Amino acid sequence: MDSLLKLSESTILTWITFIPLIGMAAILCVPRQNMSLIKGIAGLATFIPLVLATMVYFGDFQTGANGYQLVQSLPWITAGEFQVNYTVGIDGLSLPLVWLTTLLMFIAVPASETVPRLSKAYYALLLMLGCGITGVFISLDYFLFYVFWEVMLLPMYFLIGIWGGPKREYAAIKFFLYTLAGSVLMLIALVAMYLDQGTFSIPEMMAIGKAGAWTGPELLGMSFTTWAFWFLFIAFAIKIPCFPFHTWLPDAHVQAPTPISVILAGILLKLGGYGLIRGCFPIVPDAFRENAYVLGVLGVISIVYGAYVALGQTDFKRMVAYSSVSHMGFVLLGMAALTEWGMNGAALQMFNHGTSSAACFLIVGVIYDRAHHRDLNAFGGVAQPMPRYWALATFGFFASLGLPGMAGVVSEAMTLVGAFQSADTRFQLLVLISCLGVVLTAAYILWALQRVFLGPLNEKYKDYPDINGREVFSLAPLLFLCLVLGIFPFYLLDWMDTSVIELMSLLNPGS
Amino acid sequence: MPNIHLTGFGLLSPELVLGAVSLLVLIMDLVWKERGSSRLGWISIAGLALSSFLLILAFDDSVGDTAFGIVVVDKFGNFFKLFTCGALAVVVAFVMGDQRERKDRIGEYYFLLLGAAMGIFFMVGTNNLLLLVLGLELLSLASYALAGFHKGEKRSAEAAMKYVVFGGFSAGVMVYGISLLYGLTGTLDLQVMAGTAEGVGLTRSLADAVMTSPSTVALAMVMILGGFAFKISVAPFHFWAPDVYEGSPTPVTTFLAVASKAAGFGALLRFLAVLFMSPDVAAAVGAYGLQVGSLIAILAAVTMTLGNLAAVRQESVKRMLAYSSVAHAGYVLVALVAMNGDGLEAAMLYLVAYYLMNLGAFGVLIYFHGQTGKETYESLNGLGRAAPLISVSAVVFLVSLTGLPPTVGFFGKLAVARAALAAQEGAYAWLVLLMLLNSVISLYYYMRVAKHLFLKDSEGQTVRPQPAMATLLAVFAALNIIFLLYAEPLVNWTSASMDLLLLGR
Repeated sequence: MDSLLKLSESTILTWITFIPLIGMAAILCVPRQNMSLIKGIAGLATFIPLVLATMVYFGDFQTGANGYQLVQSLPWITAGEFQVNYTVGIDGLSLPLVWLTTLLMFIAVPASETVPRLSKAYYALLLMLGCGITGVFISLDYFLFYVFWEVMLLPMYFLIGIWGGPKREYAAIKFFLYTLAGSVLMLIALVAMYLDQGTFSIPEMMAIGKAGAWTGPELLGMSFTTWAFWFLFIAFAIKIPCFPFHTWLPDAHVQAPTPISVILAGILLKLGGYGLIRGCFPIVPDAFRENAYVLGVLGVISIVYGAYVALGQTDFKRMVAYSSVSHMGFVLLGMAALTEWGMNGAALQMFNHGTSSAACFLIVGVIYDRAHHRDLNAFGGVAQPMPRYWALATFGFFASLGLPGMAGVVSEAMTLVGAFQSADTRFQLLVLISCLGVVLTAAYILWALQRVFLGPLNEKYKDYPDINGREVFSLAPLLFLCLVLGIFPFYLLDWMDTSVIELMSLLNPGS
Repeated sequence: MPNIHLTGFGLLSPELVLGAVSLLVLIMDLVWKERGSSRLGWISIAGLALSSFLLILAFDDSVGDTAFGIVVVDKFGNFFKLFTCGALAVVVAFVMGDQRERKDRIGEYYFLLLGAAMGIFFMVGTNNLLLLVLGLELLSLASYALAGFHKGEKRSAEAAMKYVVFGGFSAGVMVYGISLLYGLTGTLDLQVMAGTAEGVGLTRSLADAVMTSPSTVALAMVMILGGFAFKISVAPFHFWAPDVYEGSPTPVTTFLAVASKAAGFGALLRFLAVLFMSPDVAAAVGAYGLQVGSLIAILAAVTMTLGNLAAVRQESVKRMLAYSSVAHAGYVLVALVAMNGDGLEAAMLYLVAYYLMNLGAFGVLIYFHGQTGKETYESLNGLGRAAPLISVSAVVFLVSLTGLPPTVGFFGKLAVARAALAAQEGAYAWLVLLMLLNSVISLYYYMRVAKHLFLKDSEGQTVRPQPAMATLLAVFAALNIIFLLYAEPLVNWTSASMDLLLLGR
């Protein structure tokens, strides 16, 4: 019995990842006319992982324990000296994101109701996407990580390309090309590091990084680790996305259907941030420390530039898309600071942005489904026919804005404090500049809310039905999280803290 | 398995089976006089299967025995012979399933295909440059006739004509290069040249020749590589490929792009391995081999970049696939810059991946061409809805061609990247980066097919069901995925196939 329990423990991550894939196989067997059954399967195949992930969060996972938990490891490809393992496991940094993934996948199913030309293929691809994303978060083998990383590109391409807006084809291929360009850099770094030390295991690579044992050759005057660092960084920076690699994001977001935007902003961007702290910084910590300031600068440019461009948008969704660039800049700034506060803040900010930006995209989706346009200047007075929607939208956008008491402010403040504490005093100037971004954020969000909800009522909108139960069902858990984590951030911080300390010891071997 | 000692004709039994079946097909065509029957196709497939069976049976015992002093039976040769049988069987199946293919003169069609296969068998199964050229010519002559098989069509006739002119020229260049080598070393046997075997009469090794007349050796090498470059459509000898590929009947294009190209690589790999890579000769000519490697690096860089950039601009899917196969030849060359066993293994692995994905892609083209009568991107519009199984298979092939997981194409690219990165202390990292950036470019045009299949709507496309072709393609798509998830047999097979080549005898 005891051994059985252990077995069920160690395979739970695999189940969380692959149940959506089983659901996808089931959906493919259902005739395409039977949409209600297809939706049911999709709901179930996303609900079970959510339940399992919640069980892991409050049960199996031991808060405060060092190292990786619920590890499962199997040999996968053994060919000569080429060894790849299927190794999965989580720590305090990946667990919240795994949970967030299962939550947003579950929310995406009812949120998909209003997607035009909905079909069986849509749900199949959605589930495949869920499998790929979860897989990245649980991988402890870099080869496996890379495979999952690429597996999610194809469903994303089709989800944007088939069910997206008018310029969907352009947006879909742009997304695909940008991400692939990044991942080939990751692949080349990966293979080079494998040739150097003969392992794909992420924990082993971290140990090699900590010991400074990479021995690869110097090329063109740059050390092996510096090359590896920049290749990996660009791969993940495209996904975050940080300036100047962000230009795919507005197109992909605006063209994607609402639930896909939710997943894109909520979790796909987190893959970039997560990739940095799992697959880049601790593996080549020396090169990271040398270049941390450059990263901090890129983060601040993203914060200010993203907010400034968001201010100029007239498309509601495009504005939210640029706000993502701005908010993810805080993640980069916090990580680059190399302080415990900064890292904790960055990890928290990833989760909080996952909930608040997902909520914002759902909110935009609600009004788009009614008006079939997103022109901020064409709205006005929508608060009158839709009071409940107004309340919820204000709630969601204030969370994004960073109103005290909401989640966003905690994490953003933590990253700024962390950056201010940085041993590198140049970061203090960066903090000062990024405060400008905070002001701009308040400006574009308040201005947008004002243009949409306040002012004289545009006659066209007076008959709009208020937000309905299904929409509230998708939105409520996200808003709830925004509020709870604003008041009780330690519900996440306690889980993450040990892992952050461990990560810091990898990044700062001296301290 | 019992240790079967075969000599002479016994060792040649796979070749003899092919020859017998090719004649049988020709005779039965005259006897039956049935048009449109698939019986001849099945006979051809049975012959190829029997030949493969003999090859597999003898695989473990193929340790380099020589038949008639000239044909070598080793695992490396068997690898490419099996590859050829597999490719040919699928090409024959494509001919049978191609709705555009005229079924008259079908006996000659199969006869030529099997004859070409025999040429490949001799080409990859010898250390003697004379037999290599003879095999190459047998393959080429059959290919010229096949390219122009639709003799009524202007396009097809033009393809055959271009192929003959280019082919004749490059064969001449190659033979001239070989004659220079013969003049320098006094032998046509690669192993004697390498100094790993005793020659007859006055011979000397290539290493000595390099010492005394380096420029003549360099000229000979460039000319011989040029001959190979033509066969594997590597720039700047690739100009024939798009026109010939486009003009030929599509099953023939498939044959040229997969089997004929792999044969060229098989012979090239053996040429390089025996002369430069085996441990016995590394000390003597290793440094020279590395120079050949850097020449190959330049060819690879130019080939894949030109192929990809040209493929982006194509409006015909068939022509796009033609340029894409040029690009893929460049990828295989990337593996060879390492000039060592890892590089050979990676190249062979990539060829197997290329077999799985490119046969599939051409199969999809044949299927849809048969349905719509066109080969443009626009003709694919809306077929994703009308033929979901084939279209999903098509996406798998395209993803594999791009080199993304979870497909075998990714594994091939990975092996190539690994071999080239490990070479010369990372000196070829730029080439690997260029290859991977090229694969990003290729994503654009491969995904364009997926875009037209799934993203574009069309006015009521319908598809007549062809269950046999659909099943074949679905199986190929499944194999593309399975061989990443379970890559071990593939890797073990390729590494077993090249071990002996490097160790010599």
